[in-house]
Amino acid sequence: MAHEPVPSWEEVARRYGRTIYNFAYRLAGNHDDAADLVQEVLLRVRRGLASYRPGSFEGWLWRITRNAFLDEVRRRQRRPTSPLPDDDRTRLGSVPEPGDVLAEYRLGEDVQRALLDLPYDFREAVVLCDVVGLAYDEIAEAVGVPVGTVRSRIHRGRTMLRKALS
Amino acid sequence: MNHPGDLISAYLDGELSAAEHGEVAAHLSACGECRAEAEAAAAGRAALRGLPVVEPPPGVLPAPAVPTAPRRRRRVAAWAASAAAAVAVVAGIALAGTGDRAVTMDLDTLAERHTARVVVDPGISTLRGPAGGP
Repeated sequence: MAHEPVPSWEEVARRYGRTIYNFAYRLAGNHDDAADLVQEVLLRVRRGLASYRPGSFEGWLWRITRNAFLDEVRRRQRRPTSPLPDDDRTRLGSVPEPGDVLAEYRLGEDVQRALLDLPYDFREAVVLCDVVGLAYDEIAEAVGVPVGTVRSRIHRGRTMLRKALS
Repeated sequence: MNHPGDLISAYLDGELSAAEHGEVAAHLSACGECRAEAEAAAAGRAALRGLPVVEPPPGVLPAPAVPTAPRRRRRVAAWAASAAAAVAVVAGIALAGTGDRAVTMDLDTLAERHTARVVVDPGISTLRGPAGGP
């Protein structure tokens, strides 16, 4: 972990672009913001790679990603427009099969809506854990809080979500 | 142990030390209230993990490029590019009619496999692959 080679910008885009997009989409709830964020993150990565020293690359990358997201949120709060969450079925990766899939989409929409209602800190923690798939210590590094705080946010985020869905 | 509270999700995720894990397990087997909370956390986790992966619209991510090579390797790079292009054309024809996304995804995979091959061959490697070799 301590001596991971530094990937090129193209490798970062190829390897992580889709995951960054999903992180942004789940946090923001719409495709336009997610697309803007991916562009911004890749720009920052491109600029930052020159000064990056081998270490925990994922920690570095996700710190950049969440900071870019927060900057974007703040920028938008200054000129409030509230884009409505998109519909999952418009841009799914896999081709939907007919039948019971519709029910799954609805469920996805319910979960997305409940997720957007969570306070930001909890939403961020559960998305980094359960959508992006980071370990607790990686989340702590990306967010800049102790692991104990990560534990608490993940647990409370999940139980609040469950409550909202029931 | 007191009610483990926030430790419950970390327990479910295998993110506790062996000692903590044992304590939470013992507590859960004895406390119905905490078991119910563990079930709620597990259900929340399952809902999140069940969210479909969303595909970025075309153009959001840079197109997968054929790996570039330094000048002295131009012949190899040119060969690689034309080979990749030829395969891409064939793949494009084979997939015509299955929709843009399928074609895009497939080219993606194709480029990745191609890159992997280039990296494996130290003679034409330009990426930071494993250094060394004989």
